Amino acid sequence: MIWTGVTKARGAARFLETRRLLTLVLAGALVWSLTGVDWGGGIVHTGGGNAFKEFLTALFPPELSPGFLKLAIAASWQTLVHAVAGITLALAIGLALGVVASGSLGHLGRSRLAIAVAARFLLAIMRSIHELVWAVLFVTAFGLSSLAVVLAIAIPYAGILGRIYSELLNDVPDGPLDGLRSSGASPAKVLVYGRIPLALTDMIGYSFYRFECAIRAAAIMSFVGIRGLGYEIQLSLNDLLFSEVWTLLLFLVGLVLLVDYWSTRVRRSLGS
Amino acid sequence: MTAAASIIEGRGLAKSYGAITALSSLDLTVGRGERVALVGPSGSGKTTLLYILAGLIPLDHGQLVLRSKPVADLRPGKELSEIVGLVQQQLDLVPQLPVIQNVLAGRLGQWGLLRSLASMFSAHERGEVVEALSRLGIADKIDERTSQLSGGEQQRVAIARLMLQAPRIILADEPVSSLDPARAEEILRLLTEVAADSDRTIIASLHAPELIRKYFSRVIGLREGKFQFDIPVQELTTQRLDALYDLDRRHQS
Repeated sequence: MIWTGVTKARGAARFLETRRLLTLVLAGALVWSLTGVDWGGGIVHTGGGNAFKEFLTALFPPELSPGFLKLAIAASWQTLVHAVAGITLALAIGLALGVVASGSLGHLGRSRLAIAVAARFLLAIMRSIHELVWAVLFVTAFGLSSLAVVLAIAIPYAGILGRIYSELLNDVPDGPLDGLRSSGASPAKVLVYGRIPLALTDMIGYSFYRFECAIRAAAIMSFVGIRGLGYEIQLSLNDLLFSEVWTLLLFLVGLVLLVDYWSTRVRRSLGS
Repeated sequence: MTAAASIIEGRGLAKSYGAITALSSLDLTVGRGERVALVGPSGSGKTTLLYILAGLIPLDHGQLVLRSKPVADLRPGKELSEIVGLVQQQLDLVPQLPVIQNVLAGRLGQWGLLRSLASMFSAHERGEVVEALSRLGIADKIDERTSQLSGGEQQRVAIARLMLQAPRIILADEPVSSLDPARAEEILRLLTEVAADSDRTIIASLHAPELIRKYFSRVIGLREGKFQFDIPVQELTTQRLDALYDLDRRHQS
């Protein structure tokens, strides 16, 4: 008994020694690798400091002329409209596919599992392609229209929302569901009276977060030539008009903060 | 108890979870209007038995006949919910819903899907909910969020749901274990009153001997999935309970 104890202690000590040695070797390798870096130049863009300073000082003040503000408001509105339309469509598609993918609709009988797996697969395809790639595809198909942006946001976001919804709907506690079942509720009724109310606060919270992301995505659609905040930012950047860039960035931040505020209000009223 | 008056007929009821035997071949006959208390230490199989009687989990072996129909032949939903209903601790309510919706959930077995959906938005049968809740003394809470209610009030909401479901057999899984003695007694009184209304059968698991003696007619002792005793409540002695809960043995060692 005593001897096995000693051997065990020895084994543990040896393991610690090995680990320390390994740490030392790896730290040595890191230091040695630093000698391989050419410190002479090229690591930092030498003119970058000045350009950055110029960019920062342009914030004081940003471009606030009435004409430009009007343009910024119009661009913000366009971006917001794209984001709202995209996320709304995503909510509807995501909820429908998410419910099916969660497998909580028992009435589909024996094919239930197959249908759930198919829905999960579809959601995975939708979200594995980035919204910009979808945008390129839809601009090719529909031209530079709002429809292209809305679909480009709606499809990958529906994929993400559907996946999260299906998880949230499955992760609710069993107790309340058993209570409903013992009252004779079918799976569809358990969904409406149990799963959805139990998961709703989290579902809404996550949807709002995705709405913020959708605003960002709608803004960045300028990369494929669609108008909005991102498009104006790109134009001003090309002309090196940094004060204008700042104004537009502030509008973008303002939009996101607005959604954040709304989300807080809604969640408070749900009283989680 | 004659066979004609019995509402539950179980033969060789068995259930195991992997290597753990929850119930080993139980025979159980319960008559109409009987008030049965189920006692036994945690893990003795009380909850499993109640869930099997409620048709919520399937049997491994054995035959269960409810109201002279094999439970497998009862259509889940309407038919089963007319025969059995279950009250759990407080967990059977959906805390996010208003009280009225939690009570109306008792009707989900009888309502079709469309009616259930519609009721979620504009509640059907509000009058009956008010009636049930006022009998339980919480009519003023009808539109409150269920999570805002105290434990005792939530338990009343669960009873109100049961009143709307109106099953022939009321099953209650430790309905008063989380309540203080005064509230526990109140809840049991209400529960047994609702049962007595139309000669319903009630089977409840609980631990307090004085409440068992006051509100029940028959006591079944369960331990490690087997019945240790099945006696009229008059024969319930402290020694029997101590032996069931292992209290005497702990004293000796």
